Amino acid sequence: MGTTVTHAPAREGLSKGNGPQPRHGPVKSSRPAALKRRGRRENLAGYLFMSPWIAGFLLLTAGPMVASLYFAFTDYNLFDAPRWIGLDNFSEMFGDPRWQHSVRVTLWYVVVGTPLKLLAALGVALLLAQPRRGQAFYRAAFYAPSLIGASVSIAIVWKAIFSDDAIVDRTQKLFGLNVGGWTGDPDMIIYSLVALTVWQFGAPMVIFLAGLKQVPRELYEAAEVDGAGKLRRFWNITLPMISPVLFFNVLLETIHSFQIFSSAYIVGGGAGGNACGPADGSMVYTCYLYVQGFENSRMGLASAMAWMLLVAVALVTAVLFWSQKRWVHYEEGAR
Amino acid sequence: MQHHQKVERRTILKAAGASLAVAGLGATATACGGDSGSGDGTVTIRYAWWGAEDRAERINKTIKLFEKKYPKIKVKTDFQPYTDFWKKFNTQASGGNPPDVFQNAIGFLRKYDAKNVLLDLSEQVKAGNLSMDGFRAGLDKFGEIDGKLLGVPVGSNSMALVIDKPVYTKAGVKPEQGWTWDDFDAAMKNIRDKTGRAGDSGMYGVMYLYDLYLRQNGKAFFTEDGLGFSEADLTDWWTKAKKGVEEGVYTDAKKVAQIKPKSAVAAEIAAGEFTWDNFTVRYTAEGKSEYGLAPIPTTDGKKTGQYLGSLMLSASKRTQHPKEVAQFIDFMVHDPEVAKIMGYDRGVPATQAQYDAFKPTDEVNKAIAAYEESLVAAGVLEPITPHPNGADICEAAFLRIAEELALGKRSVDDAVKQFFTESKTALGS
Repeated sequence: MGTTVTHAPAREGLSKGNGPQPRHGPVKSSRPAALKRRGRRENLAGYLFMSPWIAGFLLLTAGPMVASLYFAFTDYNLFDAPRWIGLDNFSEMFGDPRWQHSVRVTLWYVVVGTPLKLLAALGVALLLAQPRRGQAFYRAAFYAPSLIGASVSIAIVWKAIFSDDAIVDRTQKLFGLNVGGWTGDPDMIIYSLVALTVWQFGAPMVIFLAGLKQVPRELYEAAEVDGAGKLRRFWNITLPMISPVLFFNVLLETIHSFQIFSSAYIVGGGAGGNACGPADGSMVYTCYLYVQGFENSRMGLASAMAWMLLVAVALVTAVLFWSQKRWVHYEEGAR
Repeated sequence: MQHHQKVERRTILKAAGASLAVAGLGATATACGGDSGSGDGTVTIRYAWWGAEDRAERINKTIKLFEKKYPKIKVKTDFQPYTDFWKKFNTQASGGNPPDVFQNAIGFLRKYDAKNVLLDLSEQVKAGNLSMDGFRAGLDKFGEIDGKLLGVPVGSNSMALVIDKPVYTKAGVKPEQGWTWDDFDAAMKNIRDKTGRAGDSGMYGVMYLYDLYLRQNGKAFFTEDGLGFSEADLTDWWTKAKKGVEEGVYTDAKKVAQIKPKSAVAAEIAAGEFTWDNFTVRYTAEGKSEYGLAPIPTTDGKKTGQYLGSLMLSASKRTQHPKEVAQFIDFMVHDPEVAKIMGYDRGVPATQAQYDAFKPTDEVNKAIAAYEESLVAAGVLEPITPHPNGADICEAAFLRIAEELALGKRSVDDAVKQFFTESKTALGS
């Protein structure tokens, strides 16, 4: 017991030391070999504890990615050995009208859905940022759809809501809009998916809320004294101050939107032999990738499509990063 | 105490290592136990099929019967709807892990034979584990490709016009053997005008019906290695379809898309649908009305182009238990009790013994029997159209592109061009 008492404060002192100097200096000179050994052993233990994750990463993520990069340049139907065909998959892809259609549908979804979702998130975050009674409850309630929204069951419910003679169709009819259910209409089905993603604004909302809390009160007070109105304060103080958070949300949600699959597959699915909606109405990029890979057994082409998506998302990300110089405001030294 | 701490950490590491090892062993053990037999000689075979809930119930009953007779064989089952079944099967087969025995159809025989997935069952016939005697109407040859027995027929079926009987009666339409496409078109208009319901759910996208139409005109959907019709043929067929959709004699494709996987006939948005005659069993389970079978319209007043098709049971080339699989198939196609349970769910039983064992008493099954008998009597049955490797992809493309046409997303010329492009890729021609 005695040893513990004498050692404990010493160890505590080490770990809480101000900077690296006290940590290494004295101990190193007294027992360098032992510490090294110990450090190595601790590293080993660390890696051992990480090993399930490392094994998973290597076997289930890194390995398949390398393999798919190779398959992208082959003709591979899963059964016969892959045959090297160079860039043929890519030239076929660009010339395929169905592929072009899937790119259009996906871009439409990203360009319409992402801003709407962020607007909803920011709007609700502004409302919830003001202290009021039941605040915690409202936050939880608005966040809830994000937890369940991506699930299969919600997609099934969504399909039902937007079908003929269901709640959306009936509400439309009250306003004299006789367009019928959205899920059977190749032009409308994509909007039911946009609605589904907008409804899940909870995650960006929470991030906006955190950003809003960071805005210093005194800026508002000063602006108010100078006679700035509500809109002016929002435009000149709130927006610039939360622009890093806005940038983060735009980036995250854009990437996320490009990856839409399950909701498009389920809301559009069940439509006969089609994987994604009537007349490919909800045929987003990943849906077509799935069709080529698993329905038509063209894994080489599907791999090429997957890498194309990665390149496209990387480009969009790069453009966003480049653009932030112009509109994202970082506090001095916070960068 | 510091010593103690070290020991503690080491113990934890050991424990962690040990549990990892145990987990690893456990995984290995499970993997081994999955497929092979256990100590007492009991083997497990995996059986997969496509179909709806009512078929699953029937099949599970027949499996109980089988397991009673063969207590050393256990059957593990799996089923999905048609398109999902083939996606899953394809993935399993490519991974070298297809089900031991599975439901199969003519469009997939060449495809999976070319991929080395199907077991040639003639070995098992020679060994006496599977009998190919007692099949009706030459069906024993149905699953033979290039001298290999790749599928054993379970029941014959034929394309038919499945109709909602009360709606046809209300419109005063009585289809008879030998009626023509002109009669059919008039009937569709009649039904639309008198009952307010579309006459048909979308015949223009059904590959098997278009095949019959082509056969009536001396052509066929497929040749041995390609398409058996021209772009001009398909342009005619789809021009007529587009007109029908616009006139409301075919159901609004938006509505059909929304109610799937339920059928348009059972959902009461179409008075009829061209499909396999055994589908009345499913529609009766799904819908509320009374369903019947009408003959296929003809071009010359005689020839319908029909043939008897059949679902089959096939075995995997990689099965560890070919003998047990053969015994299973043998039981399923010959045992009279199985026929009593299955009825005509997968068509009229392929063997005489099963055909005799099940004498339908209900209207639906009686009608199917009468329908196939009438085909034999009318002498309209002909040899089947060949189904080259890639036929399944052509079928899906035909359905999809026809739907796009009906939804107004494509012009007729555009649709025809797209179909020919896609099927040429699929057939490699």
